[in-house]
Amino acid sequence: MSHHLFILSPSDTPLYSLTHYSTKPTPSISSPLSANLPTWSTSAFAGTLTALSGASSATHHTSGGSVRMGGGQDRHVIQMIANASLDVVEDIMKKDGAMYLKSVDRFNEWTVSAFITPGNTKFVLLHEGKNEDGIKGFFMEVWEVYVKAILNPFQTAHTPIRSPLFDAKVRVSAKKHL
Amino acid sequence: MAYPQPHPRLSILSTSSQSSTDHFPPSSTRFSLPTPQSRSNASRPNIYDRNLNKTRIAEVSSAAFAFLFSELVQYTQKRVSGINDLERRLNTLGYRVGVRVLELMVWRAESSSKVPKREIRLLPTLMSIHTQVWKTVFGKPADAIEKSVENADEYMIIDNDPPLERHISVPRDMSQLSCSSFTAGIVEAVLDGLGFPARVTAHNTPTAQHPSRTTILIKLEKSVLDREELLK
Repeated sequence: MSHHLFILSPSDTPLYSLTHYSTKPTPSISSPLSANLPTWSTSAFAGTLTALSGASSATHHTSGGSVRMGGGQDRHVIQMIANASLDVVEDIMKKDGAMYLKSVDRFNEWTVSAFITPGNTKFVLLHEGKNEDGIKGFFMEVWEVYVKAILNPFQTAHTPIRSPLFDAKVRVSAKKHL
Repeated sequence: MAYPQPHPRLSILSTSSQSSTDHFPPSSTRFSLPTPQSRSNASRPNIYDRNLNKTRIAEVSSAAFAFLFSELVQYTQKRVSGINDLERRLNTLGYRVGVRVLELMVWRAESSSKVPKREIRLLPTLMSIHTQVWKTVFGKPADAIEKSVENADEYMIIDNDPPLERHISVPRDMSQLSCSSFTAGIVEAVLDGLGFPARVTAHNTPTAQHPSRTTILIKLEKSVLDREELLK
């Protein structure tokens, strides 16, 4: 089961992203649509097409380890889903003062949860299973590390976070909570 | 959302807090610097390992700050063409501080709460600027907060004796200048972050009792008032 975290600045420029493959067991999700897809859908634009049609397992083949490729797992599809969810997030954050917005958006097998810091930086997390407490714990730890990163006078709200220490900290909390 | 590989040169930023101090000469009794051992890498955790609450009640020497701020104003003054420009630059510098003050202040207040909240209503936000932000930055709440009678989109935060200006005497020919533009920048960053875009300026409004009384004028954008109307 994979998780994708994106940190976005107030003007929606990406600051940091992380893909985390959880070792915890996955409940398998099967899509009835996948069998009915025409064969051409597995060609050039296979990833995007199958993802949009809701077939999560059409091009289901493992290439080393337990990492699934194709379908809704393609990098560009993930980024598109994360971007698309921003509309919903921005709608909700105007009315709701909570920082942790759980399961704000759904797209096929993906659920999107978000966390808004007071400075209007957004953490967007794509996940497959339900794990509310874990995700909240993860967001809280990322928030703490983010505050420490932003306190650096050389860091502005719009420069990507490239510190390897930041990356290591986030990975440790991902391993712990996700 | 593609990222380039981390640039090797930039990675030094994160460790700069450890290495930069090593260039100083070994301890000199005159300034009572800590001994070299205490500042070695082993005993100095990187910023990501430090507790954010550690400096919560720490205080900064007001004299040291006065010197720093004086340098800051002088540096800025050499690079501007007028009072307006100078105030705008001070505002920008304050904005950088405000962004960090907001994140840190709210983190300290909310990180232990079960359901962390952001403020989304205008009046509570202004109140928290008047008390919380002022306390965090200056160690005391501001003296008053007022709503403009003429314009519905204007609010004023009043400080009778801003700590920032305690050691500043503005020359007569620059009497327009208010160095509290720096504070205005902090307020603007806090409002911006919480989703209340506004134009914030500082003005001298001396009274007989309080010669350095300063008003921070907040002019909100129209979208803020529209949204407040919807939330009612």
